[in-house]
Amino acid sequence: MKLRLTFLFFLLALIGRSASVPSKDLLGIAPQDEIYYKASSWGTIKCRDGSMKFTKSQLNDDFCDCPDGTDEPGTSACPNGKFYCRNAGHAPLSIYSSRVNDDCCDGSDEYNGNVKCSNTCWEAGKFAREKLKKKIATYQGGVTLRKKEIEQAKLTIAKDEAELSKLKNEEKILKELVQQLKEHKEQIEKAEEKERLQKEKEETEKKEAEEAQREKSKSMEEVASQGQPVESANHDKIGLLEDSPSDQDMGEQSTDSVAEVEHTDNSGNEDVPNNEEQEDDAKKEEESPVAYESGPDSVSKEPKSLSKEELGRLVASRWTGENTGEQTREVDAVKDDKPEISKAPTDAHDEEYEGYDSETEDDSQRYNDDDDEEEERTEDFGEENHDDFSSSYKSVSDDELNLSEAAHVRKEYDDSSSKLSKIQSRISSLTKKLNHDFGPEKEFYSFYDKCFEIKQSKYVYKICPFKQASQEEGHSTTRLG
Amino acid sequence: MRSVSLYHHLLCFSLLLVTHLTSVSSWKRDEFRNCNQTPFCKRARSRKPGSCSLIAADVSISDGDLTAKLIPPNPENPEDQSPINPLILTISVYQDGVLRLKIDEDPSFDPPKKRFEVPDVIVPEFLEKKLWLQRLSEEVIGTDSGPSSVVYLLDEYEAVLRHDPFEVFVRGKGGKRVLSLNSNGLFDFEQLRVKKEGEDWEERFRGHTDTRPYGPQSISFDVSFYGADFVYGIPEHATSLALKPTSGPGVEESEPYRLFNLDVFEYIHESPFGIYGSIPVMISHGKARGTSGFFWLNAAEMQIDVLGSGWDAESGIALPSDQSQIDTLWMSEAGVVDAFFFVGPGPKDVVRQYTSVTGTPAMPQFFATAYHQCRWNYRDEEDVAQVDSKFDEHDIPYDVLWLDIEHTDGKRYFTWDRVLFPHPEEMQNKLAAKGRHMVTIVDPHIKRDESFHLHKEATQKGYYVKDATGKDYDGWCWPGSSSYPDMLNPEIRSWWADKFLLENYVGSTPSLYIWNDMNEPSVFNGPESNFVCVRMACRGVLMRVRLSFRRCEWLRRVHFMVLRQAKKAEPEGNEPITGLVGVREGLCSETLAEQAAQFRVEKKTRRPVVVFNRDSLAKKSRGISHLIGEEEELVDAVGMRNLEEFQLKEWVKTKMTVTMPRDALHIGGVEHRELHNAYGYYFHMATADGLVKRGDGKVRPFVLSRAIFPGSQRHGAIWTGDNTAEWEQLRVSVPMILTLGLTGITFSGADVGGFFGNPGPELLVRWYQLGAYYPFFRAHAHHDTKRREPWLFGERNTELMKEAIHIRYALLPYFYTLFREANTTGVPVMRPLWMEFPADEATFSNDEAFMVGSSLLVQGVFTERAKHASVYLPSGQSWYYLNSGTAYKGGRTHKMEVSEESIPAFQRAGTIIPRKDRFRRSSTQMENDPYTLVIALNSTQEAEGELYIDDGKSFEFAKGAYIHRRFVFSNGKLTSSNTSPSASGKSRFSSDCVIERIILLGYSPGSKSALIEPANQKAEIELGPLYLRNGRSPTVVTIRKPNVRIADNWTIQVL
Repeated sequence: MKLRLTFLFFLLALIGRSASVPSKDLLGIAPQDEIYYKASSWGTIKCRDGSMKFTKSQLNDDFCDCPDGTDEPGTSACPNGKFYCRNAGHAPLSIYSSRVNDDCCDGSDEYNGNVKCSNTCWEAGKFAREKLKKKIATYQGGVTLRKKEIEQAKLTIAKDEAELSKLKNEEKILKELVQQLKEHKEQIEKAEEKERLQKEKEETEKKEAEEAQREKSKSMEEVASQGQPVESANHDKIGLLEDSPSDQDMGEQSTDSVAEVEHTDNSGNEDVPNNEEQEDDAKKEEESPVAYESGPDSVSKEPKSLSKEELGRLVASRWTGENTGEQTREVDAVKDDKPEISKAPTDAHDEEYEGYDSETEDDSQRYNDDDDEEEERTEDFGEENHDDFSSSYKSVSDDELNLSEAAHVRKEYDDSSSKLSKIQSRISSLTKKLNHDFGPEKEFYSFYDKCFEIKQSKYVYKICPFKQASQEEGHSTTRLG
Repeated sequence: MRSVSLYHHLLCFSLLLVTHLTSVSSWKRDEFRNCNQTPFCKRARSRKPGSCSLIAADVSISDGDLTAKLIPPNPENPEDQSPINPLILTISVYQDGVLRLKIDEDPSFDPPKKRFEVPDVIVPEFLEKKLWLQRLSEEVIGTDSGPSSVVYLLDEYEAVLRHDPFEVFVRGKGGKRVLSLNSNGLFDFEQLRVKKEGEDWEERFRGHTDTRPYGPQSISFDVSFYGADFVYGIPEHATSLALKPTSGPGVEESEPYRLFNLDVFEYIHESPFGIYGSIPVMISHGKARGTSGFFWLNAAEMQIDVLGSGWDAESGIALPSDQSQIDTLWMSEAGVVDAFFFVGPGPKDVVRQYTSVTGTPAMPQFFATAYHQCRWNYRDEEDVAQVDSKFDEHDIPYDVLWLDIEHTDGKRYFTWDRVLFPHPEEMQNKLAAKGRHMVTIVDPHIKRDESFHLHKEATQKGYYVKDATGKDYDGWCWPGSSSYPDMLNPEIRSWWADKFLLENYVGSTPSLYIWNDMNEPSVFNGPESNFVCVRMACRGVLMRVRLSFRRCEWLRRVHFMVLRQAKKAEPEGNEPITGLVGVREGLCSETLAEQAAQFRVEKKTRRPVVVFNRDSLAKKSRGISHLIGEEEELVDAVGMRNLEEFQLKEWVKTKMTVTMPRDALHIGGVEHRELHNAYGYYFHMATADGLVKRGDGKVRPFVLSRAIFPGSQRHGAIWTGDNTAEWEQLRVSVPMILTLGLTGITFSGADVGGFFGNPGPELLVRWYQLGAYYPFFRAHAHHDTKRREPWLFGERNTELMKEAIHIRYALLPYFYTLFREANTTGVPVMRPLWMEFPADEATFSNDEAFMVGSSLLVQGVFTERAKHASVYLPSGQSWYYLNSGTAYKGGRTHKMEVSEESIPAFQRAGTIIPRKDRFRRSSTQMENDPYTLVIALNSTQEAEGELYIDDGKSFEFAKGAYIHRRFVFSNGKLTSSNTSPSASGKSRFSSDCVIERIILLGYSPGSKSALIEPANQKAEIELGPLYLRNGRSPTVVTIRKPNVRIADNWTIQVL
């Protein structure tokens, strides 16, 4: 004990030059708590939790009298004690009694000599001070940077706002223009529609006549009087029912299932002789289009004699595929009718259709058993296709005389509206940007559209301040909240 | 937050859980081979009592042993087609009441192969204790027609060999039987034969064929325990302490206890199936006769029936019994009879006798007896530093931080994942600076990777276990394709041990210790299976498939989930069944599932096959690739560099497998079937030897093993394997650890918190409160569980867990003293009540409470929101409730109120427990702290206790460098004396520690001071707190600051 005290004094003498020397009694007591122990120093001191009492000689006597550790601030005797490390040369610190005579940085808690502690406080303090200096420097740098950013932001914002107002003017002008064009366009379209219907009707009639002829030549032994009217009636009916027929039909069908589309095509090919015949017919058509013109009238009168049941069966047959050859031919026929005009668009359409087909095939192979995704995909394709399909179809049925004017108007309209939508989107993005919170002085304005990356072992963390944060590992990306 | 598929993840997991829970117990049973599927077991069980007709002939004394030949009654019967060769029987007697019985084939008849005898289990010292028999006497017992040979065993005990029919038994005073073998005539010994033409010896089990080149070679016999109320032992099973009958009237599901080391996925409680370890030691105890024990040294698969009374009613054989007895049937697939009888008569006598054969438990390092923090996995160095500092922040002590398999470079043990652990030495040194240690895992499977030096070396040297064709056995484990060093070979063990030298194990430091897992050995595609998979449902019914998360690395990556099934859950008929296999974290998306792989059951073979679609996986997995890893990684993990198909060999019920084929070959042509249960033992031994080598023979090793065999106690700690975070598993941990302790293995514990699943805060707190009293105290958790370090459950729960850990730290001096007791006597640290109170029948089947040493009784709390606990306090003395210091009467059951603060624990009156009440960051920091003695006085105001101290680290204690004090309190005077006054050893250990506080429980206050002699000083006596913890503590009579040195002789007289 004596030895230990001597050592303690030695130690205190060593470390105590700059700091006020705590006596044994005050060891581990925080300066603000010293009064608690002094005030009651006459006789007994109460444990802080009030459970026990102890005498002044029992303070820091290395025996725990208070379960809460009041009497042993400077020793490890009480498990719940706290030791106040003065840490000369560094920040003071309160530590668990479980560290006393264990290893606290200034060695003042390691007084029993079992552990040889070097006074690391000066070093630690120096380190801490330097760290603090660096921090200050960083902060100062930050402030300068911030000022710069604010200046920058002011300029950018002014620029953006100028752009915005300019765009808004343009938008106004354009809107008017677009409105005018739209009206013009609609007029033209009405006219077109009328003409197209007329033409279609003619065509259908023409086809029916042709069909009738085909049927005739195909089934000579059959009772002609019955077969012929049935067929033609059927076609007439379809034409009326569907109005803007096959294009839409195709689109819708493809939404159901790509496989079905394929199937339709295939089944058309299955019937090889029939197909050839169709081709022949198509050729004939090409050679002598006029020959058919007289046909339709006579055929169109016939349909009334058809029963409802028969009609139903015929309509149904379209889905069973018996009849699909005609549909294909229909398209072909149209194409052949107006080769000079419609060549380009139709080709484009065909190409796209093929592309679509092959991709579908590919996809359906990949997805084989997965109906869900397949369906989704198909829908996408179907819709896109539908649009293109119909427009190209329409262009085919345009009236020759009106064409140049209509196309011109349409083109102008398209251009203007796309320009308008571009301007609008720019306006909205600018507005959105300007509405963001960029800090009180808009100092973060330039962070918009900027990203920062940091690499941590195998992950790359990417933060785009006004967008998203992510964690990348190899090729994979995880979005972070 | 990971936004990708979290919803799916949750959804499917909940589905998985629901289906899982409902089905576990029903199908778990089907997964493993039961007795009826195991031909030797089925044959043995179908034998009728009395069917053994062998007689003992040529009985004589030779080389100090009694020897005889076992022959059939009519050996010359010419009609017998396969003449039975005589068997050689040898009886040896050892000091302290141990009888050894060996029965083997007669080598002079030139059997096709020498049967396997398990080497290196019996300690050499035991063999030196042999008593050389000089003479035998013959007598006719009872109404026998023939004679019996009798030899001396111990004091009043004699060993008797009855000749016709042959029977071996031990009898005590007055000729009363203690235990016997073949009293029911069930002995059978299948001798090795040469295969006859057309004979088929092969055995098939779920698609695996065992070639059985040596044919049937099993052994079975019955053992009877007399005067027994209960039998105990034969770990490792998750069952009650007192073994329930497995056969006989009233037994519903008749399945014997199985001893076959298996890596069982999520073992269930109350199951007789074997798990990680096998110790064929049974102990009987009864009020009438006391305790006796039986040990069969045999490493092959064993099945043991405990026969309920009346099991033999049909046979009508009247047995010579005038006392209660328990019959048991022992069956083993191979090996020899090498059996030991222990006469007792007390429980501690039997344990001492048994551990004299296989060795007493090793003395652990001091730090190893403290708290261990483990998780699969602490990710990286930062994680380690973080966890470490959190313990300090919360002022919770811990001693060891553990790293599971993920710390390695691709599950190549002895390596580090250098991305996650770039500075392993520095990391360990940082822990070591606070007196803490680290443990890394080293498993026996070696990755078959040409660039891995260990594999290359083992291959070149031919050190691997071979398959039946003689090629290196190639099994499947964590790293994928793996091989297993042949640990039976001492040369290979020595080679393995060298791998732990600091220069060989790069990145290791002297503060690093080792954990051996998977050493059953666990093989994922071997013949016996386990787990796999529950049903998964996303849409519709799914297969009963759930692959373990733990088993295979690739399973975690491409987690096999059968998502959809064309037909029904069970395949019927020959129609192919198809399904989809999912990527774990994206389970519910069938798109993902099928991209990963497809699953089908082959039409012809009905084998499930998983077809990985690599192209589609590569193309489509971009969005989820962070979940399943990149293609390369995946392919590598699956081991399909060139394969498009990976076959899941066993499915539906069997699925995955757990261990090596039985016809795999070890050194000397030993078949794996013969030594299976001991493989992990040899591996554990080699690893522990390695750490001893590393420390130049001066430092005690610490190696935790999962597989166990008799003798494992000499090599280190064991734990009860992969338990589950359930209350029932908390409960079963007590009988499991008690049983292990009874059979020599005292340094054991269960994973605190439960390995699988997420414990609620209450269960976790209760587990800490119980685990603080386990001899081995480690928290561990599965990879897929939530983090559960003690500070993650709110302030209150943190406080409760901290308190539980603090109790352990305060009691460390007591625990360490108990470890020393185990080290010298074999008596376990954690004991069943009946070991301390062998005459108190109420304790015989109690396995909810236990004793820590002879002084502490602990009652577990195993139910949620428990308000009360019934505690039986054994008779004789009163008991001091640890929380209050108040005394409770013994010999009755008390209904104790329980709070969340602690589980009931009592100090037995008449005992002295040494504590260290100061808290430190780790046990090593407590070395110089002063002691508190808690004296619990009995009715005569007396008490006694012990304290053992050494350097906590080296082997110097074995040379006498320790302090072992004995404290006796009587007549108001406490005396400290040396228990080993001779101090014969050259080496000495000294300590400057003092006793700062002496608490007297049951002492009426009044005295003011005490006189310390020989110092002639006075110490004050006052009322002081019982516990130094926040809040009000009951006050007790306390001798304040006697400050006597722990190493000295002194007395303290209360004045």
